Amino acid sequence: MPPALLTTSLVNTIQIGSLYALMALGITLTFSVMKLPNFAHADYVSAGAYAALIVSLSGVLNPFVIMAAAFIVGALAALISHLFVFKPLEGRDVSLYTLILSSFAVGLIIRYILFLMADYFNLFDLRIAIPLRILFREGSLILSNLFAWVVPTSIVLVIALTLLLNRTPLGREMRALANNTSLARVIGIPVERVKNHAWLLVGGLAGVAGALWGMQTAVSPLMGWAAVLSVFAAAILGGLSSFTGTILGAYVVAFSEHTVMLFLNFNFGVDLAYKPAIPFIIIIAVLLIRPRGLTQLIKRGGELQR
Amino acid sequence: MITVDRLTAGYGKLEILQNLSLSFATGQFSAVLGPNGSGKSTLMKAIMGINTIFGGSVRLARQELVGMPTEAISRLGIAYVPQRENIFDELTVLENLQLGARSLASAEREAALAELLELFPVLGKRPGQRAGLLSGGEHQMLAIAIAWLSRPTLMLLDEPSAGLAPAVAVEVFAVLQALVAQGITLIVVEQNARRILQYCDQAFVLREGQLAFQGSAEECLRDEETIKGYLGVH
Repeated sequence: MPPALLTTSLVNTIQIGSLYALMALGITLTFSVMKLPNFAHADYVSAGAYAALIVSLSGVLNPFVIMAAAFIVGALAALISHLFVFKPLEGRDVSLYTLILSSFAVGLIIRYILFLMADYFNLFDLRIAIPLRILFREGSLILSNLFAWVVPTSIVLVIALTLLLNRTPLGREMRALANNTSLARVIGIPVERVKNHAWLLVGGLAGVAGALWGMQTAVSPLMGWAAVLSVFAAAILGGLSSFTGTILGAYVVAFSEHTVMLFLNFNFGVDLAYKPAIPFIIIIAVLLIRPRGLTQLIKRGGELQR
Repeated sequence: MITVDRLTAGYGKLEILQNLSLSFATGQFSAVLGPNGSGKSTLMKAIMGINTIFGGSVRLARQELVGMPTEAISRLGIAYVPQRENIFDELTVLENLQLGARSLASAEREAALAELLELFPVLGKRPGQRAGLLSGGEHQMLAIAIAWLSRPTLMLLDEPSAGLAPAVAVEVFAVLQALVAQGITLIVVEQNARRILQYCDQAFVLREGQLAFQGSAEECLRDEETIKGYLGVH
């Protein structure tokens, strides 16, 4: 494998891995605090991407404004799906399977609302219109201003989320809920309010991930759904409970899909069409070999689970 | 004063407490005794609004608690230490304490945390440690400390000495006595009747969901029939 190809694939790994991390952290947070593996998460990403696209088409090209709009729309989509679907179902003590199926349904509803809207306003195959500039070029390696937006923003948001969870009272209450919901109620933590905040946060981050993604690829109602397996693979690598494990998992999945795939293609002639199988393989392998994810590898004895 | 009136409660469709009426006096240390399955823990959970209540009432002074969500009951100044899973084991000791003191104003919180170290010196040793790694006695002290930090007027404890070595159990009871000395009303469920009767003021013995005996600790200790018949020969 020539070094230029390797470098390009590593750059892709970092860029896609950062986006995966942003999306997968939301899935881990939803699973640990709300006890729900939420497949509609993918569609909060698409909703955020469309919010960003519409703002950019209206002529606002400041990336911060675009991301703020995506955050708000993603957050609202998440909160609405909680208040109107997941919370009433939880109140009826339904099984986990019912909740998972309902999350598929919520995802479908959001996806087809986006389809209807995109069809009506003709919003297919458009990219969020931030002008593309080349910042760095050497051989086949090209770094654009998008790379300079996507990677640092994702990393800053991941760090901000980690700090929020570990250093603020709200984050502490979310982790308390994740750890022991009944004790959280007993000591008077306003469980429903904390959950609402967690939903806003999770949906908002998914929305921002959609905006960042839509800067580098065409926005489509299916874009979030197309990534859902990769993102779940990353979260499962984190054991659906560890944030460090999830971030690491995101880069492992992106590395497998880009660098490892290219390596197999170049040296062994494996067709690139197998790329979508990679997250499946990772999910099955993790569940068979190490069902609690990478966490146990990272965490040694007394270290606090983060 | 907390008054339980004709309370029928249990889990799902199962009724464990049958038409139970009793009242716990303010400022007293009351023990709830009885064999396994007699409804001791069910009574604690019913007061906290955690399980299913089929009928009857639980009142704190004149405030009806039946039908209130657990969080709201906790905010009335009632703290509950469950028998199991009574700490946040994945969080640090300090974080557990901060969660316990979460409803206090910041000045009050500082004072409470300082006072805490006098009551529970063992918790000051490794604040950054993951709570799940504490020893049995430290774990139980932390659980009591979390409840105490909310500055409750009434504390319910479900078998605080279960599984502890006798010497450690004595330390736990010493802490409970200190809490009573602060004016906190205590209701403690206990398996080991002889031990707790040395510390408490009042004793209530439950059997098959009903009140079998009620009286002072001395009366209960003297009543050999109660001890042998309902409590075993601990």
